[in-house]
Amino acid sequence: MISKKLAIEVLNASLATGADYSEIFYEDSHAHSVMIENGKVETSSSTSLCGVGLRLLKNNQCVYGYTNDLSKKGLLKLAESLSKSFHDKRLITVEKLDMIKCKNRNPVNRSYDDVPVEEKIALVREGIDEINSMKDPRIVRTFGGFGDTHRFVAVFNSKGKWFKRATEFGRMMYQVIAADQNGFETGFEGPGAQQDISYFRTDKVNPKKTARKAAETALKMLTAAECPSGKMPVVIGNGWGGVLFHESCGHPLEASAVAKGLSCFSNNKIGDYVASPVVSAVDDSTIPSQWGSIDIDDEGNPGTKRLLIKNGKLNDYMIDDLNGRRMNREGNGACRRQNYRFIPTSRMSNTYICNGKNTPEEVIAATKLGLYAVGFNGGSVDPTTGEFNFGCSEAYIIRDGKICEPVKGATLIGKGSEILKKIDMVANDLDLAQGMCGASSGSIRTNVGQPTLRVSEVTVGGRGGELK
Amino acid sequence: MGKYDKFFALAKEAGLEEVELYISESHSLQISLFHGEVDEYKDNNGYSILARGILNGKCGAATADVWNKDKAQWLISEMVANAKVIENDDPIFIFKGSEKYHKVNTFNKALEEVTIDEKMEKLHALENALKNIDKRIVEVAGTEYSQTTEKVTLINSNGLNLTQKSNYFTFVAQCVAKEGEQTKSGYDFFLDNDFSKFNAEEFAKKIVKITVDQLGGEPCETNKYKAVLHPDVVTSLMKAYVGHADAEEVQKHSSLFIDKVGQKIASSKVTIEDKPLQKNVFARWFDDEGVATYNKPIIKNGVLQTYLYNLTTAAKAGVQSTGNGYGGGSKKGISTSFLSLKPGKKSQEELFQEVGNGVFITDVSGLHAGLNPQSGNFSLQSTGFMIENGKKGKPLDLITVSGNLLEVFKDVLEVGNDVTVSPSGVSAESVLIKKLAVSGK
Repeated sequence: MISKKLAIEVLNASLATGADYSEIFYEDSHAHSVMIENGKVETSSSTSLCGVGLRLLKNNQCVYGYTNDLSKKGLLKLAESLSKSFHDKRLITVEKLDMIKCKNRNPVNRSYDDVPVEEKIALVREGIDEINSMKDPRIVRTFGGFGDTHRFVAVFNSKGKWFKRATEFGRMMYQVIAADQNGFETGFEGPGAQQDISYFRTDKVNPKKTARKAAETALKMLTAAECPSGKMPVVIGNGWGGVLFHESCGHPLEASAVAKGLSCFSNNKIGDYVASPVVSAVDDSTIPSQWGSIDIDDEGNPGTKRLLIKNGKLNDYMIDDLNGRRMNREGNGACRRQNYRFIPTSRMSNTYICNGKNTPEEVIAATKLGLYAVGFNGGSVDPTTGEFNFGCSEAYIIRDGKICEPVKGATLIGKGSEILKKIDMVANDLDLAQGMCGASSGSIRTNVGQPTLRVSEVTVGGRGGELK
Repeated sequence: MGKYDKFFALAKEAGLEEVELYISESHSLQISLFHGEVDEYKDNNGYSILARGILNGKCGAATADVWNKDKAQWLISEMVANAKVIENDDPIFIFKGSEKYHKVNTFNKALEEVTIDEKMEKLHALENALKNIDKRIVEVAGTEYSQTTEKVTLINSNGLNLTQKSNYFTFVAQCVAKEGEQTKSGYDFFLDNDFSKFNAEEFAKKIVKITVDQLGGEPCETNKYKAVLHPDVVTSLMKAYVGHADAEEVQKHSSLFIDKVGQKIASSKVTIEDKPLQKNVFARWFDDEGVATYNKPIIKNGVLQTYLYNLTTAAKAGVQSTGNGYGGGSKKGISTSFLSLKPGKKSQEELFQEVGNGVFITDVSGLHAGLNPQSGNFSLQSTGFMIENGKKGKPLDLITVSGNLLEVFKDVLEVGNDVTVSPSGVSAESVLIKKLAVSGK
């Protein structure tokens, strides 16, 4: 940890040439991961990250550098080197640093530092035993793993503020590969939370249930036919189905795209209809202990709940202070980064479409012929055009309002601005799912989420010919 | 020697039989422009150290980015704790060294002497060119220069001490085109370590063409088409395809190439080589385990020649490592530093003529979601063009292409001569394939 006194000295050195904002981001994290493959502990690795990122702003310009030399000399050298980018008179002198106090919504009772590797292995092994008890010869390879991180961050800025933030999170993962004469299929489950290890032994999340689900998906997809292709109605299952909104709308509503006019929503104003009136959507970093939650963002703004879309109308964005300058808005607690090596920017946290009025059964029953997509591998988007894709790992054909045969290899594509307007039914079974989201400020923890919903028409890519 | 001697002594005291350090020291600079102004300027000094140690025949690993007494002690205790829980019985190695190494120079001193003004001048020239080549370009979303100098050192308690220094730069730019209600974006990379090779105007022309050519795109009829795949698309598919030559995947029954060495798995037009010693920025003369690398065909005229091995998988198979052990952690993965698809004789235009009527696929996205690495099945969001009467025709948009990697490489009718090197370390050409399923309207 660096002292407040040193922080003031470094901030002032960096401000000497006229930067209008300076910020020190100190990080000291350690992470551990263990992986069991085919019943044997295959790898066990520890990682330590410790460094400082220094960010200087002047108007819309950002200068950033990081170093692992945390000595006074090392930090002052970094400050001096970065300050050379500007050539004006000093605007700010930092006299003192006051601490910003923030709520701790994500406390853990037991640090992962106090959990021996053996305990994590025992936990994961319960799931592996469950898969083995299925005695299915088609299961050819199993992976079970546990990863945990203890992250300590302290930020000091030229507004005379500082704060510290300690987070702990864990994730349990199972991957199962099944094979038969026709080839291979994979099933994956990976629940995670900002909770201690006891979270992974509850009714909702436990090794047996998680591992069995991964194995069942792989086996089910082995017998699945290739997904048909073409335009069709698609019912998207709850939880992971939220990757649709994450890609098609979440990324384009980040200030990093909006502020420079590079988002497909840049021409829309707050209050414009961008989605069907049955759609409301939220990015909420305040949900206690959730995978994507943060108490305070990397600029010292508290985590907030942002209502992005209200009954189909554009209502808000994810904003960081720097991009906010271009938008004449203050940051709203969305500024995040993977670690000290990345320039922070506006990012999502826990992003979901809100509950609607129907039941999931009603949504299925109202669909004559279409696709029911429930498992996803993730996707990507070009925020400028809004063109997105996401791949389904588990899907079924709906016939006459009933879920019928499984299909595999479905990819859904479209434009965000169009697909949101085609959502015509939203159910009431909202759930969240954990993922990693990659963008310019690195890979960060985010939740996607939604209730079961129906899109009246989506282009589906698959190898199975026309849907009949 | 110095800096790390004490560490090896301490590790030995802690009971570790053999220890290895993989150290990466880097300096990088990144400058991006937006609307003529420096938007982001990044100057970084990076350091990372991966320690692997063997205790009772098991390997434990730990990584850090700071080197001091406390951290060295932490690395040792973590290696011990991690090694203690490993159950995998595979043989592991802290390598003593290969008999001979074929050094390749990957450091260009001249690049270090390029001034910041020269870099800025090229960036501005690039941005200006992007703005002015075509009226339909409504925005230059960003132009960025980055430069990295890296030194990797592999040093171990068995006396191995190898160092490779490299440097390279990239220019990346993205622009946005608009016509009517349609918006399209396009971008490209330029990567080299010879600054004089970069021509801002030519690079800008290429990106503008990639972008505006997409305007007016619409989906085609859902059907199977004869197709030409752009080198970028071939690159993406080839990396996943060659992944099946990974000996670990083979030994663990997860590869599509099991029992296929010596057999024809692809069209006889297909020759794919692993060329770590090719003189370019991707060259690696030792892999991450310290094994000397060498050039070799993986697939020759459609016949699988070899699997790719690291030390562990080679020992299990009773063969020599092929110098493909890469990656971090206690266990090395298997990878390639430079893959190359052997070019054919025909130009891209000649391939179009051969197709007559079909599709030209220029880009696929979402590979992490739409390509199943195990089964080789893929269904990917794509863009491209119709091929009409032997010529590139109207643009295609919002389509997906689907198929299976094994089938695609079996279906190759011709490989073009338009050698294209991608920043991911793959050299590929346009490829003509018999049929491709396209889903559109």
